[in-house]
Amino acid sequence: MTVLYRNNVQVAGSGPATVFFAHGFGCDQNMWRLLQPSYAKRYRTVAFDHVGSGSSDISAYDGQKYSSLHGYANDVLDIVEEFGQGPAIFVGHSVSSMIGLLADVRAPKAFAVQIMVGPSPCYVNDGDYQGGFEQADIDSLLETLESNYLGWSSNMAPAIMGAPEQPQLAEEMTNSFCRTDPKVAKQFARVTFLSDHRVDLHKLATPTLILQSTDDILAPVAVGEYMRRILPDAELKLVQNVGHCPHLSEPGLCADAINEFLAKQGF
Amino acid sequence: MNAHGAPPPETPWDLNGAPCALAQTNSDGAFLRINATFCAWLGYEADELVGKRRLQDLLRVGSKIFHQTHWVPLLQMQGSISEVRLEMVHKDKRVVPMIMNAIRRDHGGGAVHDLAAFIARDRDKFERELIASRKHLETAVAEANRLKEEAKDRALFAEQMVGIVSHDLRNPLSAISMGTMVLGRGDVPTNQLRVLSRISRAAERANRLIADLLDFTQARLGGGLSVDPREIDLHATVAEVVEELALAYPHRELRHVREGARTCMADSDRLSQLVGNVVSNAMAYGEPGAPVTVSSAVGADVFRISVHNTGRMIPAEALPSLFHLMVRGESATSGSKNVGLGLYIVSEIAKAHGGEVMASSSAEGGTLFTAVFPMSRADQSGS
Repeated sequence: MTVLYRNNVQVAGSGPATVFFAHGFGCDQNMWRLLQPSYAKRYRTVAFDHVGSGSSDISAYDGQKYSSLHGYANDVLDIVEEFGQGPAIFVGHSVSSMIGLLADVRAPKAFAVQIMVGPSPCYVNDGDYQGGFEQADIDSLLETLESNYLGWSSNMAPAIMGAPEQPQLAEEMTNSFCRTDPKVAKQFARVTFLSDHRVDLHKLATPTLILQSTDDILAPVAVGEYMRRILPDAELKLVQNVGHCPHLSEPGLCADAINEFLAKQGF
Repeated sequence: MNAHGAPPPETPWDLNGAPCALAQTNSDGAFLRINATFCAWLGYEADELVGKRRLQDLLRVGSKIFHQTHWVPLLQMQGSISEVRLEMVHKDKRVVPMIMNAIRRDHGGGAVHDLAAFIARDRDKFERELIASRKHLETAVAEANRLKEEAKDRALFAEQMVGIVSHDLRNPLSAISMGTMVLGRGDVPTNQLRVLSRISRAAERANRLIADLLDFTQARLGGGLSVDPREIDLHATVAEVVEELALAYPHRELRHVREGARTCMADSDRLSQLVGNVVSNAMAYGEPGAPVTVSSAVGADVFRISVHNTGRMIPAEALPSLFHLMVRGESATSGSKNVGLGLYIVSEIAKAHGGEVMASSSAEGGTLFTAVFPMSRADQSGS
């Protein structure tokens, strides 16, 4: 089984460095479609689906391996090793920022820059730390997932009504967004929202940009500030945006912030 | 023409009072319009929501996260989403489960989202029951598998224990037998001789029991009893064991009836064991004063050994399970100590020879055990 097939790796562009795009919990690499093209003009870009998401090879899903983010981090290292050319710039959304961090800690020379979009090292409140959620909230998410996937045949996203104003969307493409096996979705949600990687933050030596939305219930600004304090070499940039996906709703602002940071790092 | 095509002019097309919840939000989720049905279902006035609240503000936390991870990106990427179940929170904090559809309409530089929703309380209940019963089923299956594994382990352990213990018991027993033999030599008072012979008989019984236990373990763990078939004289073999048994049961009448030719292929030790087990069963359960008859018969296709006794009949429903493990009849004499291995081993011995055991019982005819064995070609040529 190849890494290419396992993670549905899509390579584009060329340039002095490789930008890796890793999607978060929920959908797949299509989440990057507003950001990735502009980078493909200047860099080699590599986008992929985590195993169990999008068009990855579902048969490669191993409940044991993916019972922690380390399993996903190992996959990232496989992808970087096989598809990277020149310095690696890792752009991770949400849980993938933590996956990138764990991969970096495991292979400290593998990455030149870490870009974290809406990261959180721990979603559950713990003493003074405010992750934003209680355990019961995460349980209610798992319930929501269960009831929403109940009506969806496995491997199918919710039914799609006509999108008359988006004729360019091909049929097969619309079906792959958020396509996830219900059991995998539930375990990924558990791993995503119940992991606590605060103790790993101080191990990340790579220069890091934290991109946080000004209004994001999943990754509040306070969490971004917490990370900036603990990460050894990090900068926090706030993007004026409502929601957890600024790369979809404010791709221009995100690109500006990323480009500014990359320039500072000599890219 | 008009009769079926258009509504009468006096009935307005009332979206505000439509039988479903309708709303329009900006791309951040802030309410721009909301119909009366939606307001009523959530317990708010329209002006408490429009321009003041966002869709996500009225969602329960789990749905809020789902809204961020699935709803928003899907609307953004494919322009519509349907049949999503979200839990909204009523003004009085009640949870209102809803099924929602939404489409994005782009205009100028921005976009609005149009939503339609239905309350899905009954569907919600039904789905919860489905989910609960699926969980229940999964748990039950897992538990059943666990118990099965445990039972298998326990059975294996028990069988191994039986094997080890019965093996180890043989040494002290042979010491007891030797001891009684030595003590019985020379001038021993009659009453002590009686005690010695009781000890010796008890030791022999224990020895037979151990042999049965070992056979049982072999039959269970090793996949069947081992037999060593040779050409034997069936009648002579049976006569010898009947003679020994007559000594062991001095107060009972034991007969031996022979039929047909003599030779067959069989393991004579195993056949002796078979006869011993069935006869001791007949002695235990048969009528105490009546004779027990052992028959040996060699025919053209089969040879058979049967044991007959009179006495209380075995109920018809008990017959099929007689040869199973640990099925034990009600003893006619209180002294019998049958742990139920005997007949199981009888049936294993028959099986190992390619034969089978049958039992029949009636009040008038008494009880008859018959073991039937196929003759092999060598037998036929030999006789």
